[in-house]
Amino acid sequence: MVVSTTLSLAGAGTAAGTRFVGEFQQLGHVEPKLSGKPRKHFGWFCISGHQLLNCKCFWQIPPRSRNLLNFKPRDLPLYFAYGKDAEDSSLSNVNEDTDEMFDKLFKKYGKVVFKRNDHKPPTAEIDDDAESLSFAVAMAKVASDVKAADIKVLFVKPLVYWTRFFIIATAFSRPQIDAIGSRIRDLAEKEYGKVPSGDSKPNSWTLLDFGDVVIHIFLPQQRAFYNLEEFYGNATPIELPFENQPPFGN
Amino acid sequence: MIQPQTHLNVADNSGARELMCIRIIGASNRRYAHIGDVIVAVIKEAVPNTPLERSEVIRAVIVRTCKELKRDNGMIIRYDDNAAVVIDQEGNPKGTRVFGAIARELRQLNFTKIVSLAPEVL
Repeated sequence: MVVSTTLSLAGAGTAAGTRFVGEFQQLGHVEPKLSGKPRKHFGWFCISGHQLLNCKCFWQIPPRSRNLLNFKPRDLPLYFAYGKDAEDSSLSNVNEDTDEMFDKLFKKYGKVVFKRNDHKPPTAEIDDDAESLSFAVAMAKVASDVKAADIKVLFVKPLVYWTRFFIIATAFSRPQIDAIGSRIRDLAEKEYGKVPSGDSKPNSWTLLDFGDVVIHIFLPQQRAFYNLEEFYGNATPIELPFENQPPFGN
Repeated sequence: MIQPQTHLNVADNSGARELMCIRIIGASNRRYAHIGDVIVAVIKEAVPNTPLERSEVIRAVIVRTCKELKRDNGMIIRYDDNAAVVIDQEGNPKGTRVFGAIARELRQLNFTKIVSLAPEVL
């Protein structure tokens, strides 16, 4: 008795009503296919009682109709009888309701392309960039305080997804690399609460990875050998505020 | 799944062309190495006139494996070849550029130098 359940819900719940209407329409589509060679002959009232009320209906059930696949003759009387009872009272209302409802839903959601929620708004991205930039410039300043040469800050975010800024600096000896590295580590931990991963001992290419900012400190030979600036040649170089100052107070 | 006697391609311009794994760095009887592990390897084939020569013993980091790499989010990465990057004792790459796509797991394993030389990071 699934049909009766559907019908009793039809008046109350719009969802059930929608389904009910759908069924009706599908049945209605069969109607134009009335043919001259009827296979089944029923004396019952048809669904579309407006036109065919009290008249005999000739139905040809399409053999491969998807929705009527389980259509059995013994179901027909029940289904149609309920259908006729229900149609005048609730069907028209349901139709209007659903149309309005769909119109509303379409107005509300129709033009929205579904989007993942974990995307940051552009403003947040810009804020993050600005924060990383200020951190990178502070780190470059520290490196310049310990007399690192040829400091370059590159904005590599458009080129690689895994970081935002590269700082490339040259130091002239391993003790100097150690000094630069430890100064940067101290300041980052004290002021920004960031702890780098990467090399802990001074190395000919020392790398400090702060996530958004990656700092490379090279010996001059290694800097020429690896030539990172050329590899990231398309990155935007950032102007450093202390760069234009004369080095020894001339 | 790299084990001793596995032959690997070289994914950098260090001059080596083919390596053979002879030892996996880690536990004493470690059986297999995966992406991001350091192996000891011997150079089976090298480009002429480069610093690295055939039959030299070097260290290398595995960057690509045919064995699939699973991530926590369900992503699975499998490459067509086994490839490694030659490094020195300090962990600096011997070549100046890395070829092909590499996995981002290398960054977590402190091989950011290799990642920063790579053209593509998956």
